[in-house]
Amino acid sequence: MNEEENLSEMESLRLINEMISKAKSSFVTTGAASMVWGALIVFCSLLTWLQIYLNYFFFVDVWSLTLVAVFFQVYFSIRERKLRNFLAHDETITTYVWSAFGICIFLLSFYNSKFGNNDQSISSLFMLLYGIPTFITGGVYKNKPMIAGGILCWGLCIISMFTENTTDMLLMAASGLFAWLIPGIILWSSYQKKRAANV
Amino acid sequence: MFKELDPILHSQLRLAVMSLLISVKEAEFTFLKEKTNATAGNLSVQVNKLKEAGYIEVIKQFKENYPQTICKITPKGIDSFEAYVLALQSYMNPNGQ
Repeated sequence: MNEEENLSEMESLRLINEMISKAKSSFVTTGAASMVWGALIVFCSLLTWLQIYLNYFFFVDVWSLTLVAVFFQVYFSIRERKLRNFLAHDETITTYVWSAFGICIFLLSFYNSKFGNNDQSISSLFMLLYGIPTFITGGVYKNKPMIAGGILCWGLCIISMFTENTTDMLLMAASGLFAWLIPGIILWSSYQKKRAANV
Repeated sequence: MFKELDPILHSQLRLAVMSLLISVKEAEFTFLKEKTNATAGNLSVQVNKLKEAGYIEVIKQFKENYPQTICKITPKGIDSFEAYVLALQSYMNPNGQ
């Protein structure tokens, strides 16, 4: 590309469009963080459901595994950021949204451990929260599976208000599947395709 | 009436750099080089011209013991870019329709 090449007005506009498209298409995410978080929510929910169903609690603190997932989330985010040589405008928004989500999940878990009881499950509130960052991230990155996942979480939240605790765990597993695991797998496969195309 | 095109921006490489920087919050020099396919020397000269005009901010730092140059568009740069695009549009559509 030359610095002093004379450009016509049309060429200038074309160049602006081309560069903006190039910058936009540079943003790719592996989806690894989404997959790990989604798989964990599905696993914890199903295990909790199984324990309630069998009435045999062999792994009481299964949800403490989510703390491990938070470490993975932070690790994947930092690794992805290091691999990229630019910072997108949207990243600031999503970083704040996911940080707020993390804080709310922690506070809600703490509230549940202090005031929660078996008769009144707060699974609905968790599903309500799951939908928020997923829906916003999907909207920001124009990722339809994530937008759908967020809406599904809210749908499952409504259903859970009319179901028993045992069923809530199955709904929670479904929310993890739709909000993170499936979108994560889609992102992963699209990342692999892009990588293969660039080799 | 045609608006005058900003001579700082009306250059292929400088316009490409500004278009890239307006699309992101900040970018490393390597990102600009990769996307514009320009040589490091040429790009460096044009980045300096944009910096001198106050259109971009250039931060030089070290990342894992390697020098790193980060470029970021300034509010003045955003205004100039917007004015440039408006001027271009007035050329494309002189009747303002």
